[in-house]
Amino acid sequence: MATDHSRFEFDPGFVSDRLRVAWYAFVGVLLLAGGYATYLRITRGMASTNLTSTTPWGAWVAFYIYFVGLSAGAFLVSTLANVFGVEAMHRIDRDALFAAIVSMVVALLFVWTDLGRMDRMYHPFVWRQFTSALSWEVHAYVAYIGVLVTELYFSMRYDLARVAERGSGLRARISGLLTLGRRATTEASRAADRTWLKRAGVVGIPLAIFMVHGGTGVLFAVSKARPYWNSGLFPVIFIVSAVLSGTALVLVLYVLRTRLFDDEPVDRDLLDQLAKLLAAFVVVDVALTAIEALISIVSFHPHVVETWQIIAFGEMSWSFWWFMVGFGWVFPLVLLSKREWRRTPWLMALAGLSVVIGIVAVRFNIVVPPQIRPVMEGLPHGSYFPTAVEWATSAGMIAVGLLLYTIGAELLPLTPLDGGDH
Amino acid sequence: MSSSDGPQPGVPDVGRDVDAMVDEETADAREELSKTDHNTDLGIAMAADAKRVSRGELSAEAYWERYDEAAEREFGDAYRETPNPSIESADQTIDAGVADSMSCSVGSMGSVACDLPADGDAVDAGTDGDETGGDERWGMVIDLEKCVGCDSCTVACKAENRTPPGVSYNVVMEEEHGEFPDVTRTNVPRPCMQCENPPCVQVCPVSATYKMDNGVVNVDYDRCIGCRYCMIACPYGARYFDFGENYDDEVAEAGEVTSPEYGVDRGEREDGESPVGNVRKCSFCTHRLERGEEPACVETCIGDARNMGDLDDPDSEVSEMADSSRAFQLKEHEGTDPNVYYLK
Repeated sequence: MATDHSRFEFDPGFVSDRLRVAWYAFVGVLLLAGGYATYLRITRGMASTNLTSTTPWGAWVAFYIYFVGLSAGAFLVSTLANVFGVEAMHRIDRDALFAAIVSMVVALLFVWTDLGRMDRMYHPFVWRQFTSALSWEVHAYVAYIGVLVTELYFSMRYDLARVAERGSGLRARISGLLTLGRRATTEASRAADRTWLKRAGVVGIPLAIFMVHGGTGVLFAVSKARPYWNSGLFPVIFIVSAVLSGTALVLVLYVLRTRLFDDEPVDRDLLDQLAKLLAAFVVVDVALTAIEALISIVSFHPHVVETWQIIAFGEMSWSFWWFMVGFGWVFPLVLLSKREWRRTPWLMALAGLSVVIGIVAVRFNIVVPPQIRPVMEGLPHGSYFPTAVEWATSAGMIAVGLLLYTIGAELLPLTPLDGGDH
Repeated sequence: MSSSDGPQPGVPDVGRDVDAMVDEETADAREELSKTDHNTDLGIAMAADAKRVSRGELSAEAYWERYDEAAEREFGDAYRETPNPSIESADQTIDAGVADSMSCSVGSMGSVACDLPADGDAVDAGTDGDETGGDERWGMVIDLEKCVGCDSCTVACKAENRTPPGVSYNVVMEEEHGEFPDVTRTNVPRPCMQCENPPCVQVCPVSATYKMDNGVVNVDYDRCIGCRYCMIACPYGARYFDFGENYDDEVAEAGEVTSPEYGVDRGEREDGESPVGNVRKCSFCTHRLERGEEPACVETCIGDARNMGDLDDPDSEVSEMADSSRAFQLKEHEGTDPNVYYLK
């Protein structure tokens, strides 16, 4: 466990048993609440939401694009190490990949819950529509999860084989199974893994950028009926905010897992690098959002102008000012501004967490405001705030993600067993 | 009714022997039948016995046993090839033994109608799965000068399509301009536009909504997954999600009768069964069009503001109206090319 131990006393997971119990209890409570809410969702149908025919998309769609973004962002951070060869990032690449997989699972749970007919979730694989962004997206998500799992496998197989060979007990058996029979621990096998890892990453990068998250942006941008979304810059902002939230997530996970699971000192240089990256992404996100706002407002298109008014001054404007601008941009930028702070782990965890929460508001402010003003003058105006069932199901689905991640982090060698330096 | 008052203006006088009036109008059977090449006596005998069957004095089985051979001799192939309604496969009215012994073929009358050549503007109603004339592109023209904003169309639509709370295929968008006393009011009824380039069809991930040959945009309730992307894409707000609500508090057994939308009878409305959880919209009353009837909103319009017809027929009334200089479509700049036109 500690640094001076042999690496093959492989024992990831919580250092403190009390913390472990408290954490699982917390996740358990969320799962119970979410489970009950899901029961209500299934028995009462979509009437359990505050959605209407004027505002047909709400919290579940916002969380769905949030987690797709989180996944795409985390994945792109992982490619810094395994495709672009940034050596220092090797320590976090598996973590980033695993978080990307879990985020994707959570995203699909959200989009599933959102279907009016949950029992027909397989239909998009039976019937397709060539011109539908959503039809393409569903397939892109499956391909993307395939790439992520492939990457995680090649990035982790060498360590899995070593654990299976030299460890004992349940963990060794699981690790043995996860090697899929490729148990060689030679340098040659490791080199082959790296080659395939890089190849999968090369496929994954365009898939993640253009199809998975860019495509999710396109899904909105093609809606000519909603001029607020109908902009070429929109998918680009989607990708930038995805990378922003993904970087923030990886930063938080790195600090927390290093302290709470590995009980090792945080690598200050790596922290500083991630923090600078995060600051850069915040700036790009702010700038592009400002450009988009400027273009749309000076267009004087009544729908767009009114949507911006709803965002900035409407009844939900607190989510824009406090969460999107405050937690998403200003607060983290302040924390990221000083070198001393960027090298302080708990401050950076806070900055990362702030962005991760702030981007939730970004997603809500993408989805909801353009559905408040009716598409035709004379039709009823919309108004939307999620019901308790919507909040609790969301908490439950997020808890599923937390549980999956924690179990994975307790069982798998997510931190390279030789500390990340090759 | 008191007979002593004599006939009142505008009230039909039924004091006379109405049955005698019917007899007066009825043509002489022997005279009519003699105009054909076929056996007059056989026709008269069959008709007389048919009346006995309907009075219950003779069984249908006995009737057909008596006449099957004679009819076959008289009409030959025409008799053998035509399905007999009493042995129609779906709804047989005579017992199997007699039915099997008969020489005419088994099938539905509908299948015969299908084989008949379509003749121009005739409406061959009752043909399964086949749209009315078969080659129309249905279009609607709404004259805003004639619309008085009474909302009858909205009500007729709800009654016809039995739509649940929150679902209203047709609405009337009302707008007041000017200040008192110079106030005008514009009423714009809004059904589904049945666009030529429908954005809803473009975005549906499972092709559950698609354009039919007759121009109507269909929703396949058995395929729709309820993702509501089409509602996001529709520039007219014409699509509604069925949240599963009912009018049970207002009307007992409100869900017992449903409308056979798109020609599919789904029976009683039930929780969790389509169309609950699906997206719904105006279908131009496809089920009525198939019967040769106008959509409910068109039929009910008190000012005759709504017109239905074939836009592919350049001589049809709707084509001429849609070509007039008063005609416009909603949100023409969207490029959706609606099949609903308005007259200014």
